[in-house]
Amino acid sequence: MKDITVRVFRFDPENDEKPHFQTYSASVSDGARVLHALHAIHNEHDPTLSYRYCCGSGQCGSCAVRVNGEPVLACMEEARDGMTVEPLDLPIVKDLVVDMGPYLDSLHALVPAPEFRMPTPDEVEEIKPLRSCIECLACVSACPALKVIDFAGPTAMRQELRLQLDPRDQQDRVTEAVGEGLFTCTSCQACWKVCPKDIQLPGKAIEKLRALANKKGLTLPRHQDVAQLVKETGRSVVRTETSFLEQIPEVLEPYGEVKGTVGFFVGCMYNQRLPQTALDAMEVLRRNGIRVIIPKEQVCCGSPLIRTGQVDFLDTLKRRNIDAFVFRNIDTVLTMCAGCGSTLKHDYKTPFKVMDINEVLTKYGIEPPARLPLKATYHDPCHLLRGQGIKNQPRELITQVVDLIEMPAICCGSGGGVKSGVPDEAAALGEKRREEIKKTGADIVISSCPFCEYHIRDHSDIPVKNVTTVLLEGYREKDRKAKEQKPC
Amino acid sequence: MRSDDVLLCHVLVIGSGGAGVRAAIEASQYGETLLVSKTIAGKGGCTTMAEGGYNAVLRTADSCDIHFEDTMKGGARLNDRDLVQILVKEAPERMNDLLKWGAVFDVTTECEVAQRPFGGQRFPRTCYAGDRTGHEMMMTLIDRLDSTGVGVHNEITIIDLLKDGDTVCGAAALDRKGELVLIKADSTVIATGGGTKVYDISTNSSSGTGDGYAIGYRAGAELIDMEQVQFHPTGAVYPYDARGRLVTEAVRGEGGVLKNSLGERFMSAYDPERMELSTRDVVARAIATEILEGRGTTHAGVYLDVTHLPRSQIETRLPVMLEQFLKFGVDIRNEPMEVAPTAHHIMGGLRITTQCETTIPGLYACGEVTGGVHGANRLGGNALADTQVFGKRAGEAAGKAGKKTVCIDDAQVDTIRSTVDNYMKGDTNPSHVIRSLQTAMWEGAGIFRTAPDLEKTLGIISHLSTIRLKAASPENLAECCIVRNMLLTASLIVRGALLRKESRGAHVRKDVTQAWDPSSSPYRHTYLSDRREGIETGVWE
Repeated sequence: MKDITVRVFRFDPENDEKPHFQTYSASVSDGARVLHALHAIHNEHDPTLSYRYCCGSGQCGSCAVRVNGEPVLACMEEARDGMTVEPLDLPIVKDLVVDMGPYLDSLHALVPAPEFRMPTPDEVEEIKPLRSCIECLACVSACPALKVIDFAGPTAMRQELRLQLDPRDQQDRVTEAVGEGLFTCTSCQACWKVCPKDIQLPGKAIEKLRALANKKGLTLPRHQDVAQLVKETGRSVVRTETSFLEQIPEVLEPYGEVKGTVGFFVGCMYNQRLPQTALDAMEVLRRNGIRVIIPKEQVCCGSPLIRTGQVDFLDTLKRRNIDAFVFRNIDTVLTMCAGCGSTLKHDYKTPFKVMDINEVLTKYGIEPPARLPLKATYHDPCHLLRGQGIKNQPRELITQVVDLIEMPAICCGSGGGVKSGVPDEAAALGEKRREEIKKTGADIVISSCPFCEYHIRDHSDIPVKNVTTVLLEGYREKDRKAKEQKPC
Repeated sequence: MRSDDVLLCHVLVIGSGGAGVRAAIEASQYGETLLVSKTIAGKGGCTTMAEGGYNAVLRTADSCDIHFEDTMKGGARLNDRDLVQILVKEAPERMNDLLKWGAVFDVTTECEVAQRPFGGQRFPRTCYAGDRTGHEMMMTLIDRLDSTGVGVHNEITIIDLLKDGDTVCGAAALDRKGELVLIKADSTVIATGGGTKVYDISTNSSSGTGDGYAIGYRAGAELIDMEQVQFHPTGAVYPYDARGRLVTEAVRGEGGVLKNSLGERFMSAYDPERMELSTRDVVARAIATEILEGRGTTHAGVYLDVTHLPRSQIETRLPVMLEQFLKFGVDIRNEPMEVAPTAHHIMGGLRITTQCETTIPGLYACGEVTGGVHGANRLGGNALADTQVFGKRAGEAAGKAGKKTVCIDDAQVDTIRSTVDNYMKGDTNPSHVIRSLQTAMWEGAGIFRTAPDLEKTLGIISHLSTIRLKAASPENLAECCIVRNMLLTASLIVRGALLRKESRGAHVRKDVTQAWDPSSSPYRHTYLSDRREGIETGVWE
């Protein structure tokens, strides 16, 4: 047995004006789960603590709560000393019990078709992963989109695809899903990351439904425009100034000793809209011993098409991009766009390794920059944090140059085709970022994704900068100081 | 519909597992039906946790006669023959209902429902959806329930049946806030599932507290064979709080082998023919014996090993097992599981006719809360089939029963109210009583039993029943009522165990030597009600 301290959310809407936290010392066995800590509190300290559970083995989905902010199943998550337990972000009945009923009722049921046909083994295999959902509503709690716009939510989309794939159902679930907000998902992947059954909701449900919607001609007009642009120009955005690729030679040699060589995949946004940021990154790479090879024939990675379900043209793009690097015998391709990086890593089968710039810089280590007298906060790009699991590396770089104040990692609203397709939603999510940024009291916002940087600029009262731009400013400051100290 | 704070309906179904939901779906065709669940319908009960499968005769090489004989043999011939005939005949029909309603079972390349071998069966007739078969069924049933007009009342705890004279006319319940709710019904169906939560080590969900046995008994219904408690051979043994968690029989169905700490496949000493796929009573006793005789693991279990199976087979056929063990740091693809017996299923329960009528008018029952279908030992895969076959029958019989002019007995309601109110004045934390009960039951009424141990256990239960339970707030009242039900259910198990002076199926009396086997046993059902108790005698034909 061991004693752990647990901070628990308490709220009785009928009697309490507002929620409060109560801290308990609970005696639990080794290997105890959060649920067992709650049992210990309920049985030994406070029987009035309300929480819901049933099977105790991860199969019924009754006990989802947030532990240190993250939705988990209380019965499966190990209890840790000092943890904070809160209810899911749903209407609260009491303490940790939320009202699941209305959401569960809203999920659609199969409507048997007049002609019965057993699903084939292939159909069963396709449906099965969608069927393991235990409706714990962790994904609903985590989804940022449904908090700002009418969206049925991640698991509702899962259910729609499950029904659509089943020959025994007679309804048109694709059209239904579009009506329920299929195009409002920003593909931030928060739902997948909290799913106790690891159901890849954005990739395996929402994007598939969007592809089916595309076949029915239900793709949003703005998304169709993007697809057209990619087909015509190889780029998903219109060029507003001289592009990065037009400004740079094919090989950039580092200033000093060569520590490594990478191919650079620039991506549409950094190439066409934010070329200066990409140029800053090149400077940082050169300064840190990285030789960069930049094939000029590279095109859009296809992410804007995959996220919006327009996959017809995809293979052509993949082939052109892979060839561009293979022809030059490049074994490591560097990305600095979180979306491109995630796409190259997960939607491509590449014969080369793909690394994000934060990974490359922390792998080789960087020359220390001068510290800038700034407080910064960092916005985790969804496709970097959840898409590529990159959390510590950018922080490791940032804290070498400025002080970092953390804020919650929530989608800014720029992904999944939402900025172009559902701009009101993107703006609403952007405004939520503004509030969080304000709370930090930071002087600048740092990020590592062109979509986030471009979008947050419109929703921030302070400057938004890329990680590498801030590093470069640190180097310039260092150079300036060095110059000052040098005797004339 | 509410009238003077009384909910009115034609059929009241208590319980929201596989049997209850199936009953409600069926009953809704005949009149207004209410389903009352102390959890959230679809999430509570044990059906959703059932992993392995559903037995049904689907192939020409198999037959209902073989399924019948397997079930009877597995049940040590204590089963009610008529109920078993119905089970095996109707299980395929009810499977077809589930398929029609959208259940996603694994299928063969010929688009037929796939089947796998399970213990005690001569044909691989266990249909499955990976190792989440029960969950698949519940999802399907809840889908179907939503498209009926059934009124679903979640998180309302039935605490007693209401009676008008001898006839059941509904039930009294507590809502989440501890307010008394009265429900008046022409017919009432108990589908509250099992009650092995009375044991310290159990596979059951929080709802397996035996409420149906207790409220049925208090209302005067007769129960049979309550001593027959199935200890599932393979439950998790560590960490401590995960003890008892079900490790599905499908693990052995897929080819998993049992080994003791010496590395011996010890089942060869207990049932060389069927080995790991012997019946559960045999395998559970074998494991318990190995552990008692010092050939167990450090965590007091034995090894269950699937590492010789292809990884892909483990990943696709046993994904829940893989995931659960990974959570506790064991990758079953690379290392063996450690398992030991865990209280799983009560074969005994309310005595029913083939129409699911109990021994009192107006009251029907289906699923684990009933007795007779599984005899002295249930075959893996027969419980899910039971829920559907008898769920449908109970719903149909309850629905077809006529309207009744019944009145709620105010005096009874007053008694219920005062019992409940007294919990506000009690002095003992109910969770402490549960702990004492569970320990006593595990030690004194477990796999191996003797009369002195059983008497001692009954004494402990009697004492615990005198303790004045304390509800810390009105919301805790239901908890107190449930503890009362657990105590009563435990006492029924022990009383049945004392009545049956023979070893049969899951019930082993170490203090009795007997000269008969199941087919020549002079005993039939044990029976318990508030009026009489005893054991029926006579060799069954």
